[in-house]
Amino acid sequence: MDQAAQVPVTVLTGFLGAGKTTLLNRILTERHGKRYAVIVNEFGEEGIDNDLVVDADEEVFEMNNGCICCTVRGDLIRILGGLMKRADKFDAIIVETTGLADPAPVAQTFFVDQDVADNTRLDAIVTVADAVHLDGQLGEHHEAEEQIAFADIVLLNKTDLVEAEGLGRVESRIRRINPYAKIIRTERCATPLDEVIGLNSFSLDRVLEVEPDFLTSDHDHDHDDDVKSISFVSDTPLDLEKFQAWFGSLLQTRGRDILRSKGILDFEGLDERYVFQGVHMLMDGAPMGVWPEGARQSRLVFIGRDLDTMGLDEGFAACRAA
Amino acid sequence: MPGSVATELARERRRHRVFAETPLERDGLTLDAGAPVIGAVSTGAGVAAGFGDGRVRFFRADQPPVAVEAHHGAVLCLAAEGNSGFVLTGGDDGRFLRLSPDGVIEEVASFGTRWVDCVAAGPGVYACSSGRAAYVWRAGDAEAISLEHPSTVGGLAFDAKGRRLAVAHYGGATVWGYGKRRWNATRLDWKGSHNTVAFSPDGKYVVSAMQENALHGWRLRDKADMRMSGYPAKVKSFAWVGTEPFLATSGADEAVCWPFGGKDGPMDRPPTTCAYAGKQLCTSVTGLDSLDGVFAGFADGCVLAGQISTDAKMEDLVVKGSSGSPVTALAVTSEGWLFVGEESGRVLWVRLGGDSK
Repeated sequence: MDQAAQVPVTVLTGFLGAGKTTLLNRILTERHGKRYAVIVNEFGEEGIDNDLVVDADEEVFEMNNGCICCTVRGDLIRILGGLMKRADKFDAIIVETTGLADPAPVAQTFFVDQDVADNTRLDAIVTVADAVHLDGQLGEHHEAEEQIAFADIVLLNKTDLVEAEGLGRVESRIRRINPYAKIIRTERCATPLDEVIGLNSFSLDRVLEVEPDFLTSDHDHDHDDDVKSISFVSDTPLDLEKFQAWFGSLLQTRGRDILRSKGILDFEGLDERYVFQGVHMLMDGAPMGVWPEGARQSRLVFIGRDLDTMGLDEGFAACRAA
Repeated sequence: MPGSVATELARERRRHRVFAETPLERDGLTLDAGAPVIGAVSTGAGVAAGFGDGRVRFFRADQPPVAVEAHHGAVLCLAAEGNSGFVLTGGDDGRFLRLSPDGVIEEVASFGTRWVDCVAAGPGVYACSSGRAAYVWRAGDAEAISLEHPSTVGGLAFDAKGRRLAVAHYGGATVWGYGKRRWNATRLDWKGSHNTVAFSPDGKYVVSAMQENALHGWRLRDKADMRMSGYPAKVKSFAWVGTEPFLATSGADEAVCWPFGGKDGPMDRPPTTCAYAGKQLCTSVTGLDSLDGVFAGFADGCVLAGQISTDAKMEDLVVKGSSGSPVTALAVTSEGWLFVGEESGRVLWVRLGGDSK
């Protein structure tokens, strides 16, 4: 698919009051010469400064395709389809979700609907978090954890209202849930536009750039966050058939608890790197060129719930080629 | 595909037939509207088409097309009011309009930032939808009656007499019947998201095109379900054609036609197919109730005419050649004029059998 023809879509999540609308208005009013279409799902106190604002209701429905956690956002399919009918095209689309939205159906819509996948691409999930309240929200609401877990960017906002120590604590808690998200500290969402727009985070190329800090994703932690991340490496090449069987059944049976997965895999007998990324049960993968000299190493990353109970260590180890 | 790992680098090369420009095409009126064609309906003697720049154009035999600046954004949907020449349109400017064939605009309702997603007309009645509600006007009504649904309306259609309204949404469809001065609801359940919807011409069945690559049908007498699946892509266009009648559908590499005659319609009867244009997707279909044939438009812009027949395979006729832009709208009049609209904004308006000018 011609990437240039696909309109990038940025998804803004975050709890009510974290600063989503402030960020949205910053994006829209900066002098960038670009045309945006904005899809909003709740009218907040602040107005939105844009000539194309579409008002929608978040409507999640389950696909009738036997995939139990394959929920998608019907309103997005309808509105993105409608926007593509317009004669005057725009440069990008921004979707502002409600505070309690689960990001998974949004992301899955881009995997599941052919028209959406053909005409648009998910650029990034940007989560705006309130530095003062995030700590409490993470314990209280599973939606807060999911919004952090799915984020490509966490905009840690209102940092001027928290002392340095508290800020460090909140950041390390974000890291434990999602060590791969980029954290940007802001006051009143002030950040350069290119830090949040035009990131192309869901392309397989970007998976190659993911350099998780393996030291921070160790297994002990002081908080009982449901959602956390685990990563694996192997210097021994993997057996394609064994991996397919293990990974396929893992996603089928535990896909509900695996929020995001990413990997760069070295299969025995394959010269190219196999790169994939997934959301729950859905995944997108392809060979992505030959390995750099001396760098053949499989890396696999999961963000999810109850990862300890999935036998991931043993399962992955058993995929090594004999 | 859940959990599957593909190792092939090169996808299968698609076998593709390219069709040259036809004499019929050269004979017809062509127009570059500069905005995607989003739909077209037969208005009796002519055709009305909606465009992505908000314009609606009326095409009539032996006359230049009339363009109407109807909506401020894109036209999202349109429906013909029988053979009166009037059309109803909905747009992303939130307006529900009624247009006369000479271009007079009547704003029936406006919903602000909410889009008007679907419109439908029947004898003496018309309707639109915005969000979860369908709004119905009966002849003489100043105010609409609002009918609420559990989720956003994906499709609207009246039966031939205008006494029932089918509304598609998530989890199935609702059939509203008018009696004792009010609309009464009957629910038809089927998991998934349902979009374009229609009654069969005899009013015995309701069919919806789904978010999945399938159609779903209900026999209204007993709410029996009919699964019409096996498509490689979403079914975005369907039409009732022929005397049987057949439900001709897009979504495969040829027109797939389900038989709706007889006692049980398509139950336990396979569909027949026609109009094969090589390995590419059929994107739009239309036909006439007097003719067992289908006009099928394809992803590369060609249009074929195929005959629905159980006999030895009939040869398809090439009506329009390949242009590189998908056919997004087809409509044919009973007098034999064909409208073809492309995503690129190109339009062909031609008399079948030639002599358009």
